[in-house]
Amino acid sequence: MKINAQAYKFFNIEIVVPIVFLLLSFGAWQFSGLSGAFVLNQVIIRFIRDGILVLSLVIPVVAGMGLNFAVIVGAMCTQAALLFVINYQVAGVAGILLVIFLSILFSLLAGIAIGYVLNRVKGKEMIVTIIIGFLANSIYQLVFLVGFGTFIPVINEEIILSRGIGVRNAVDLSMYRNTIDKLWLIKIGEIEVPLFMILVVLLFAGMIYYLLNTRFGQKIKAVGSSYEKAEIAGINVDLIRIKVLILSTVLAALGQLVFLQNIGMFDVYTAHMNADVISCAALLAGGASIKSAKIRHALIGVFLFHTLFIVSPQAGQNLFHNAALGEYFRSFVAYGTIAFALIINIKHEDKRLVVNSSCH
Amino acid sequence: MKLMMNTDCIKPPQIIILIFLAVLLGLAHFLKMDLAGLFNESLIKLVMNGVLVLSLIPMLNAGAGMNFGLPVGITGGLIGMCIAVNFRLAGWPGFLMSLLLSVVICGILGWIYGLILNRVKGREEIAGTFIGLSLIPLMNYFWTLAPFQNRQMLYPIGGQGLRPKITLEPYFYNILDNFSLVKLGALEIPLGLLGFYGLICLGLYLFFRTKAGRAAMATGENEAFARLSGIDIAGARLLAIILSTVIAGIGICVYSQSYGFIQLYDAPLAMYFPAISAVLIGGSTGRRAFIFQAVLGAYLLQTIYLLTVPIANEILIPEITEILRTLITYSIILYALLYRERQRGIGH
Amino acid sequence: MENILEVKELSKAYHGVPALIDINLSVKAGEIHGIVGANGSGKSTLMNILFGNPIVRETGGYQGEILYRGRRIHPKSCGEAIRLGIGMAHQEFALVPDLTIAENIKLGRERTWKFTDRLFGPKYSFVDRKRNAAGAAQVLHKLGLDVDVGIKVINLATNTKQFVELAREIDRRDIQLLLLDEPTAVLSKRDGLKLIEVLMEMSQAGLGIIFISHRLEEVGHICDRVTVLRDGRVVSRYNKGEISISQLARDMIGHRVNKAIAPARDLNTRPVISFRQFSVDMPGEALKGLDLTVFEGEILGLISLSGHGKLALGYGLMGLYPAAGEVIYKHQRIDQMDARANIRKGIYVLPDDRQGLGILPEHSLADNIIFTGNQVKNLFAKNMVRPFGFLDQKKADLHVGQLVDELEIKCTSIKQKIRELSGGNQQKVCMARALTVDPKLLFVAEPTRGIDISAKEKILKLLIDLNRTKQTTIVIASSELDELKRVCDRIAVLVEGKVFKILSPDSPEVEFGLALADEKGNQ
Repeated sequence: MKINAQAYKFFNIEIVVPIVFLLLSFGAWQFSGLSGAFVLNQVIIRFIRDGILVLSLVIPVVAGMGLNFAVIVGAMCTQAALLFVINYQVAGVAGILLVIFLSILFSLLAGIAIGYVLNRVKGKEMIVTIIIGFLANSIYQLVFLVGFGTFIPVINEEIILSRGIGVRNAVDLSMYRNTIDKLWLIKIGEIEVPLFMILVVLLFAGMIYYLLNTRFGQKIKAVGSSYEKAEIAGINVDLIRIKVLILSTVLAALGQLVFLQNIGMFDVYTAHMNADVISCAALLAGGASIKSAKIRHALIGVFLFHTLFIVSPQAGQNLFHNAALGEYFRSFVAYGTIAFALIINIKHEDKRLVVNSSCH
Repeated sequence: MKLMMNTDCIKPPQIIILIFLAVLLGLAHFLKMDLAGLFNESLIKLVMNGVLVLSLIPMLNAGAGMNFGLPVGITGGLIGMCIAVNFRLAGWPGFLMSLLLSVVICGILGWIYGLILNRVKGREEIAGTFIGLSLIPLMNYFWTLAPFQNRQMLYPIGGQGLRPKITLEPYFYNILDNFSLVKLGALEIPLGLLGFYGLICLGLYLFFRTKAGRAAMATGENEAFARLSGIDIAGARLLAIILSTVIAGIGICVYSQSYGFIQLYDAPLAMYFPAISAVLIGGSTGRRAFIFQAVLGAYLLQTIYLLTVPIANEILIPEITEILRTLITYSIILYALLYRERQRGIGH
Repeated sequence: MENILEVKELSKAYHGVPALIDINLSVKAGEIHGIVGANGSGKSTLMNILFGNPIVRETGGYQGEILYRGRRIHPKSCGEAIRLGIGMAHQEFALVPDLTIAENIKLGRERTWKFTDRLFGPKYSFVDRKRNAAGAAQVLHKLGLDVDVGIKVINLATNTKQFVELAREIDRRDIQLLLLDEPTAVLSKRDGLKLIEVLMEMSQAGLGIIFISHRLEEVGHICDRVTVLRDGRVVSRYNKGEISISQLARDMIGHRVNKAIAPARDLNTRPVISFRQFSVDMPGEALKGLDLTVFEGEILGLISLSGHGKLALGYGLMGLYPAAGEVIYKHQRIDQMDARANIRKGIYVLPDDRQGLGILPEHSLADNIIFTGNQVKNLFAKNMVRPFGFLDQKKADLHVGQLVDELEIKCTSIKQKIRELSGGNQQKVCMARALTVDPKLLFVAEPTRGIDISAKEKILKLLIDLNRTKQTTIVIASSELDELKRVCDRIAVLVEGKVFKILSPDSPEVEFGLALADEKGNQ
């Protein structure tokens, strides 16, 4: 097999894609007329909000499970936890701790379920996770739009719609807001750097890096390379995959928690929408592929992708006098990046076309 | 090799759907709803959505999976219709021109789409999903910037580009629906519409009896065998994908003339999951589909959709219609994905 | 010395077909126990059971007892076997392609930073890559190989991979029983000897070793005891000193009295196809520079141990796997291994894996029979509007009906789905398809696998009839030597992807056994 050509190609992708994004971002930024400081501030905020979510995608890619679009489920678990705690009106530190506890609990269970399901569809994980995400969203809506007020007792009237059934579209989180996201704020000229939160994101990055370099991490890599070979090398492939999913879902849940507390406002039905596509696109923008992802891809990718995201609408306005065109550009870039990653990466596998004969 | 033949047994999804349908019918009767009217509606909805469902069959049978990239074909159809409307072609000339243009454009789009899908064997579904998803924003540029002249299609002064919903009333709204409409008491049978649908079914059936069609089916059933038998795998798949895309283009034309509007921009996003879900409800395993299954599934799904609206309004919260619809759709697709993989595993 | 391993009355069947029957075996600590056997003897099944390969459980488990160090065990996964102290060097390597040599050797036992070990436990301790690499290099050095351990396994040559596979097991401190499946097959003589040295050292330290090899000379040289398996049973056992290579070869092949179906004849014909340095990259069955000439009108047999290439010839010719080398068919070079072109030229391949490649399971048997003929040669086509022509159903059904009668295919109707037919009947359908295509040169692989006795006879007769009546040249790749002896004019023995020897069907079994074992024997 011409592996050198393959390796060369891979090397290219890791460098080429981020450079393309860099150029695009730079170009769009120039057209947008926005100040560098403004853009940078916005990017830093997005980095904090989305960083952990993007990081949660890394391990499943390493495990050979492709892009985990079901991270959206983790996000929904956190939101569910939040709504329950707000409903039962547990305030203050106890409330925060309960939210964290519940969101980890829910996402743990969700991760086990999803992992179990994915073990039955080895090779088709990505399409299944997308469907799982959509399905979970429907169930989420069922619970919160229909269930609250009918099956689930409402204690906190404030969060319910006027008709009595269903949580309202937006819930205020001001009680939790601004507790930690302005911690250790450093100002460099016009640029605000919330050091604490950045360190939190980097801490998670560090944790994942650590995990991937333990014995456990080696097993994950083995499974990602070839689960048949990993199995006969003595690794419990199914268990590893479930653990990977649990990790990914819990991290996504925690990431969503950071996201929500940073925004301060909770759009109950839309906060998690498109989180999966945006984070996957960000990861890929950093140079990852569906078979290989590293921490640095996630971190760089968030920067590059969100820069483009932030400047596009204004650039569209300035260039075409139509901000919507900038929006379309954003969508195209997000979906297109993923489509691109899916298309170019297939050369690797076609040796096994014909069934292995002879069961002797 | 009769494509009209029934499959083996009824699996859990079918049972659940049938029970659900029975419950809804019971409720409808209990609530004294206009069953005759609903029946008439159901026939129209069948064909309106049914052609899109039929478009999934070639790709499924050729081994290219469920066509999550349906937006590609839909886009072709939309372009065709927009051009026809732009030149103010109304009535039959308008509709037929739309069909013709759709076929041509979808042929080209399908060819490109097929070339891409041939590169991603094993991942056609996820790749198709994102190809479709990225095509939509790209087309949004087209709808906004392309030089259409028909004032009725464009945004009022101050806006740029085509409207999101272009009315077909002055053109070919309901042209097929009303063609040869037969009334039997309270029932209205749209013969023209059903005939058109039947024609497409027949066309598909005949295709699969041709040499090329058989080659495509063999490719989907056992690719290694097909290769060993000298079949050009890539060519067979390409043909199937082009066919699927073209039928999808026709499908959106039929849908639009019935609905009364050409829906642009993000509208295609809502169209592909229900179509896929329909063919699965009809009994397809996700690896092979009979025409019969597509028709049955389309009818069942649309009828359920139809019944949930008034019932939900009566007894529950209106949003529940949408939620229930999506719940059914995604559960069916998920089940099919799981069941299909398990089948494949057993075959080892 | 105690028994590390004791196998009692071990039996296993795959879907009703017995692979192992009442196997009794024991291995002492410090013993090197050889296992020898031809295709279908059950060696691999035995190894799969001992090592807990999940495929065993998935196909119905096994009967009998396995005692390991005196205790009953029932390994349900390879991980479990490894934890018990059993190690295995697989014939096709259990190496993870994208990990490096060092990572593969140390998989599961990586060297880690001690303090993380204590903090987070052994599973979550941080890997010390430098010490890992050093350790890996050390083990390889012991085996006589010095190579950069940072290279990914996927980039390695096959013999290097063998070293890595072995190094992984040798590096283990907890190993008590080592299963070696063809460890020297891809190694040079010198490397093989080095390995044997290391193995003998380890066995002296108390390690029990099961050594599977087709190289009888080696087996005789290093094993303390040898067990010969044939057709799933133990046929003989020898101690060191009693081992004779020709006796082993004879035991491997067995002796059956079968009369030839067709009388021997002297064919003096031209070559119809010749292969020069023909290589096929089929995973697990590669051909490596085959030189072979097939004469017109003959029935040529191909036999080899599994993995040695006999199945790859037809597949390579039809382009299923990448092939290289020169092929001359009827005086013309074949440049492209393209199935369609080759079928048109008169070459056809019936695969061994019927379920996987040989049939369209959801189609009727009629469709299966006419498929290739219709697709490639436009047989039974109605309209001339190719490629959209329809089928002349009447003509096709007539033809199918004739064949069904001729071949005595048992079915409810010609429209019955082929997957409902028995194995033997399915194979007849495949033959019918070949007859429909009417090739000049037919490659058949494992024609009688999975078929009952009476159907076997019928299939063999069919092949002979085809050859005698239509002068179709037939190349049969099979692991059933006695069948080949009954129908072939010549039998080519393949070893490690090349033609080793061509024997006449009258040659004594021992000649075949020796040839398969890579021994020159009587020249």
